Amino acid sequence: MSDTKNGGAATLDPATPESSPARRLLAAPDGTGALLRRAGVVGGLAVIAIAVALLKSGSGLVVWQSVVTGLLMGGLYGLIAMGLTLIFGVLDIVNFAHGALLAIAMFIAFGVVQGTGLHPYLTLLVAVPALFLIGAAVHRGLLSGTGGASLENQLLITLGLSLLLENGLLMFFGAEPKNVSLPGDFQFSLFGAVVAGGRLYAFLGALLIGAVLFWLLRRTRFGTAIRAVAANGQGAELVGVNVRRVHTLTFAIGTACAGAAAVLAAPLVTVTPTLGEQFNITAFVVVVLGGMGNVAGALVGGLLIGLVEQLTTIYMDGQSSLLGVFVVFLIVLFLRPQGLFGRRA
Amino acid sequence: MSARKLVAGLGACAVLLAAAGCGGSAPSGAAGAAGGRDTGPVKIGALHPVSGGLAVDGQQMRRGARMAVEAINAAGGIKALGGRKVELVTGDTQGKAEVGQSEAQRLISEGAVGIVGTYQSAVSTNVAVVTERNEVPFVMDVTASDEIFAHGYDYSFRVQPGSEVISAAAAKYLKAVSEEAGEPVKQVAFLHEQSDFGSGAAEAFAAAAGDLGIKVDPVISYDAATVSDLTAQITQVKASGADVLAIAGYYRDGLLAAKAINAVKPGLNAVWGVSNGAFDQPKFVADTGALGERYFSTNYHFDAQDPQTRELRAEYQRRYGAPMRTGAVLAYDAVQTIAAGVERAGSTDPLEVRDGIAGAEVEPLTVGSGPISFAPNGDNENALPVLMQVQDGKVVQVYPEDKAEAEPNYSVTWRS
Repeated sequence: MSDTKNGGAATLDPATPESSPARRLLAAPDGTGALLRRAGVVGGLAVIAIAVALLKSGSGLVVWQSVVTGLLMGGLYGLIAMGLTLIFGVLDIVNFAHGALLAIAMFIAFGVVQGTGLHPYLTLLVAVPALFLIGAAVHRGLLSGTGGASLENQLLITLGLSLLLENGLLMFFGAEPKNVSLPGDFQFSLFGAVVAGGRLYAFLGALLIGAVLFWLLRRTRFGTAIRAVAANGQGAELVGVNVRRVHTLTFAIGTACAGAAAVLAAPLVTVTPTLGEQFNITAFVVVVLGGMGNVAGALVGGLLIGLVEQLTTIYMDGQSSLLGVFVVFLIVLFLRPQGLFGRRA
Repeated sequence: MSARKLVAGLGACAVLLAAAGCGGSAPSGAAGAAGGRDTGPVKIGALHPVSGGLAVDGQQMRRGARMAVEAINAAGGIKALGGRKVELVTGDTQGKAEVGQSEAQRLISEGAVGIVGTYQSAVSTNVAVVTERNEVPFVMDVTASDEIFAHGYDYSFRVQPGSEVISAAAAKYLKAVSEEAGEPVKQVAFLHEQSDFGSGAAEAFAAAAGDLGIKVDPVISYDAATVSDLTAQITQVKASGADVLAIAGYYRDGLLAAKAINAVKPGLNAVWGVSNGAFDQPKFVADTGALGERYFSTNYHFDAQDPQTRELRAEYQRRYGAPMRTGAVLAYDAVQTIAAGVERAGSTDPLEVRDGIAGAEVEPLTVGSGPISFAPNGDNENALPVLMQVQDGKVVQVYPEDKAEAEPNYSVTWRS
């Protein structure tokens, strides 16, 4: 465990600890003090934003509900972004098909519920392995050959794949919106704000999966291998790590995260073939915000974006909530292009 | 490796998507406009979004138009032209304005004497420009926006009641129904999607309600494309103390609103759809179950009382295995209108067909206060919005009285 204390992969690649992508996979690249300070700044800004919203709206209940809804939605955004950021951190692939893969998983959940009458959450047992396999197949079949190729190649492949998947779904399932209902759904009041059971489960699921992913990366042999490959592929290969396999497995795990997010979100949304687009942009913003490749940063970034989205509707009635999201996105890009929790490259 | 890479990627993505959206060929000019009009069948163009996100409705409407053509031919074709048959030529807008425009041009070059369509206001706006330039009549089946009819176009007609007419009727019906129930409406909260459709409906409703002495506050908007939770908005409605919530939006967000209302349980007497794309759909009833019960909806509608409409819908159900939506019945009406114009003109010359349509009186299968007959601006002056309600898992017409299948039930499930 001695290597995990100081950033893990540092021992594998002592020459370039500053720029090490492996460090980006971990939550604390700058040491706990700096991280806490930054979290404090973000938290402080959030409190100010909420206070201003309170002044604007004049109703404590409305703002409180917005905060609760925003955080619940944010957990889901974080979960979707986690897979994306993992793939980016290790493989350096900007995966535009992530949203379409999410939509595939939702249709798997819908199909299984429809066909067998299983509880929607039990479809995790089908959707997550299925997405894992699809992810592995996509990487082996389409992306593993593009290792040294230009960024545009990967972009075109993932974008093309997303168009193909979406239209495939359209052809197979039709455009009619589908509904996955949660049996025994309940709701309760949290100091006056309504919390629906499905949204709470999705939020808790996001935290749980985030924790599992974090544990996998930091505490397992396989996680060490992933970090080693992310840090220095050649070096990892020299010490006997099968880099190609690690790449494929990482892509598969990232895609499986989308599968889990899809099942948890399915009862909360209307399932349509183009649904991925709705989440894709938000997920990319979250990834950049959290620091690209930073799994824990993705979760925090997700919570932040969920909050911003809801508060925007209070600040600017009649505007798209995406407007506020992009304002925050641009500010972060200007002030900290490496993301809130990323390290300068 | 930096954010720059990702931003560059997003830019490339946007360019690619824009390029992908530019499909569809555009035969230029109207050189062949009159080609084939004088011989063979009389061609009527149908332009709908049969692929893409709105394909379900687009398919419905194309089928409705086709059934109208079949009915005309079965009844002996165009009698004024010695029984010449009618043929439907079709185009797919893919839900995109520029594709709709080029497809309209193509249908006109193929010799269409008139065009029906298009389901979306934005697409109709562009198609109206093409038909005006080519001097070919354009009879809109579904197009809510009133703006097209402010341009003084000579070739644009519309069968459905416009946005303003529906919103004004919604306010009027609300006042009448709430008073009859002994709980006259005092304050309406209006929730709408933020594009022209929703904000136009909200403005028109607020104006009409104001004239009737009804307070409209707050007016809350959301982005239909990205919204995935309306709980905070419904909480705002609850905090405002409004006794009625009016909603103008599409299907997906209508469903979200119903879920949020069920969660927050605001102190309302009624949920009131205005041109709402969800609350009068059988699918909404199936998807929401008990949640959607007693929701009202003011909108255009097929005439549930008319035996001919019933027969048509039964035939549609038999043939396609799905209930026939109002959009399809409106497409049926629109084709009938063009055929009536040709019949009156006794010619396929577009100018004479245009005059024929302008003076035609066609019995609609959708609800109207009389035959389809056009005001000078091209709007159907007898189009009548109807009030519907979800009752016992079915959408029924409840107001005005002569179109009603059942009594309105002015209450909500979570308060009784």
